[in-house]
Amino acid sequence: MTAYILNLLVLISIYAILSTTLNFIIGYAGIFSLAHAVFFGIGAYTSAFVAMNLTPSFFVAIPIAMAVAALTSLALALPALRVRGEYFVAASLGLQMLAVTLFSEWKGFTGGIGGVIGIPPVELFGFAVVKPWQFLVLTLACLGIVIVVIRRLVHTSFGRSLKSIRDSESAALASGKNITIIKTLSVVLSSALTALAGGLYAFYMAFINVESFMLATSVLVMAMVIIGGTGTILGPIVGATLLMLLPGALSYLSFLPQTEIGSIQQIIYGAAMVLLMIYRPGGIVSPKAGGGTA
Amino acid sequence: MLLLQLILNGLQVGAIYALTAAGFSLIFGSTKIFHFAHGATFTIAAYLFHYALTNLGLHWTLGVAIAAASAVVFGIALDRFMYAPIQRHEGSFFTVFVASFGIGIVVENVIGMVFGRSFISVSTSLSRSVELLPDLYVSPLIGLAVITAVVCFVAVHMFLMHTHAGMALRALSENTELVKTFGLSPRRLSAYAFALGSVLVVPAAIFTAASSGLNPAVGHHVMLISLAATIVGGIGSIRGAAFAGLLIGMVENVALWQMGTQWSEAITFAVLFFFIIFRPSGFFGRAAVS
Amino acid sequence: MNMPHVAHNTATAQPVAGQETLLKVRNLQMDFGGLKAIQDVSMDLRSGIVTTLVGPNGAGKTTLFNMITGHLKPTSGEVDWMGDSLLGMPPWKIARKGIARTFQDLRLFTHMTVEENVLTVMEQEGWLWQSGGVSAKVARREKVASILERTGLKDKAGVRAVDLAYAERKFLSMARIMATDARLWLLDEPASGLDPNSYGLFLELLRSEVANGITVCIIEHNLDIVVNISDRIAFLDQGRLLADGAPDEILNNPELAAIYFGER
Repeated sequence: MTAYILNLLVLISIYAILSTTLNFIIGYAGIFSLAHAVFFGIGAYTSAFVAMNLTPSFFVAIPIAMAVAALTSLALALPALRVRGEYFVAASLGLQMLAVTLFSEWKGFTGGIGGVIGIPPVELFGFAVVKPWQFLVLTLACLGIVIVVIRRLVHTSFGRSLKSIRDSESAALASGKNITIIKTLSVVLSSALTALAGGLYAFYMAFINVESFMLATSVLVMAMVIIGGTGTILGPIVGATLLMLLPGALSYLSFLPQTEIGSIQQIIYGAAMVLLMIYRPGGIVSPKAGGGTA
Repeated sequence: MLLLQLILNGLQVGAIYALTAAGFSLIFGSTKIFHFAHGATFTIAAYLFHYALTNLGLHWTLGVAIAAASAVVFGIALDRFMYAPIQRHEGSFFTVFVASFGIGIVVENVIGMVFGRSFISVSTSLSRSVELLPDLYVSPLIGLAVITAVVCFVAVHMFLMHTHAGMALRALSENTELVKTFGLSPRRLSAYAFALGSVLVVPAAIFTAASSGLNPAVGHHVMLISLAATIVGGIGSIRGAAFAGLLIGMVENVALWQMGTQWSEAITFAVLFFFIIFRPSGFFGRAAVS
Repeated sequence: MNMPHVAHNTATAQPVAGQETLLKVRNLQMDFGGLKAIQDVSMDLRSGIVTTLVGPNGAGKTTLFNMITGHLKPTSGEVDWMGDSLLGMPPWKIARKGIARTFQDLRLFTHMTVEENVLTVMEQEGWLWQSGGVSAKVARREKVASILERTGLKDKAGVRAVDLAYAERKFLSMARIMATDARLWLLDEPASGLDPNSYGLFLELLRSEVANGITVCIIEHNLDIVVNISDRIAFLDQGRLLADGAPDEILNNPELAAIYFGER
């Protein structure tokens, strides 16, 4: 039982990082990316590669993974953000589908469809993180750092610039803000932190393959952000927790055909998204009305 | 010969893409709604056509009618019961997109549960290829697809240019204020836009069902193509979206000359990216207005 | 169509000591496909006075603003600000050169507080922090406080823009523009719908900024406001500048009145 709970907590924490970083660009900058799983994957594959060929040291593998993700997102964002928001949605959808093909074909780096097996445990100051509870501590620490970083960013001039762009691009432009640079920066930051989650995932699972980094995952994280609520720091975490608990909860309802659980899950959050947008666009955790913003 | 074969296939696929892209562009251009559920319309029409012919054994004309009715009803229902309430409250890009996205997920999974997830297709006498020349396999479907696409485009063109509702739709995409002078409510026009845009998807869905086959995830691919073609063709230009759809279809197939089929989405992405970098307004797009 | 010929009586408007012509617009043209939204418009905007842009609906007033601020790219023509050409510059660069504007539909940063709305306008740099360190930060906060005081929004500092009353929103729009160091203000219907008290405060604010040497151009429909505010009037119709001169002659011109009230 403890093993099951520990496992769930680690996964919730990892997905909480994913949803928090996606919320940063959707909720605060108004940029819609359907390619979040791509950077999750880049983080995972790069960390695995470094761990198996160089060193499994946390302080080497993770920064390299983050840098690779940052550079890739820079290449995507700079041209796509120059123009309208719809372009970025299209470009990110295209990137997500392209990435799946790349992940499946590039055997040297990703192990192709078979994936990467035998990833060594991550090492922190020479100490190998092997036990699940140790890994949970590590993951929670990372989640904490990500939250602090994002919170700091949101409360500074950069965060205000992002929000102004989200609320009215034309007014932000008229206020002298170079929207392209600001948006690009936010995407690069978000992608780098997403890669951190990817690295953690790779080290935890010790085996990764393309199945975890497909459109369905991007959709799942997007659902977490939306259902949890975009205006706050807490929202995405609530969303991640709810949606990670959903499969377990559904398995208790024995009248549901077990083979269709995946579909039923998706139907639930698809429907939740529609209903929320009609009745409560802010999501479950809405920002305080009449007070400050998160 | 292979190249010629690929070009012909490209024509067929291009015609299909042109239709779906034009449908999306029409809806987006006139209502400004980012109708991400367009792919879901395609999936519904395709699967119902397949069901009608394969499981119910109906004649293809009935199948077409059922598919068309379902597409139109779905499109209009979404506009009435989902987009309208959202637009009344806040109607930001975010809420419209997310709702559209959500409905797409629901449809994809419901269809998957009801009809199964494996690849299915409709076999008709038209799908069978005839060896015209050595190594050149042509099925009547190719010609039919192209002709149907052309007929549809001519019909849409005439509707938009010569009917009252059509002209009002064009006005809607330029200026909502202007529309009031036509005496038609924007709500009613919105329904027209969704009906027309959704029905354009039907021939494309049917041809896809008869040729390459379907699975519930086909909606994503359709959506990517429609989005890419709308951007490449220029936002606001239905003609542009159609041309771009044709272009993407051709490029996808001709590329097979050198690359495997798994790269076809990469090709679409490359074309899209090229335009985003070098010509963001697309073929026929208008000057970008903030 | 016969257009009334009105000479450009630039000599009639009394030059105020210290006025400079900072914005020059020459032969501006804006074509949208077949639609000529702006046709061969030339005008000067002078500092120290209020120029009002009037004309019937659809005349192209907001389009003209958009062309000056870079939100629209002119088909042809020249826009000169303090000697530099603004053509081809992105809106944010133009804004940083000292040109600020408000929007007819306000476009406030809806989910940010009043204070944040005004503060963010002063934080123009695109990097993760603003230059100038702590002292600049303190200076900015002080400026925000003083602006909120002057626009009567002090008590609403922590309220989200979307939760404000109508007049308060209009004043927030003004506060945003006051927070910039802009020397040219393009105001799109800033006073429409204001109650008499608010309107009085608005006029006061405007007059004091104008006296400080700001160049102001206002789009306004309400003739009472136009009469009250304007030092010069420019009359736009169907994309053409029909007249440009002192309020008396423009307002007393029967042909222009006919166009304005739609009795062509």
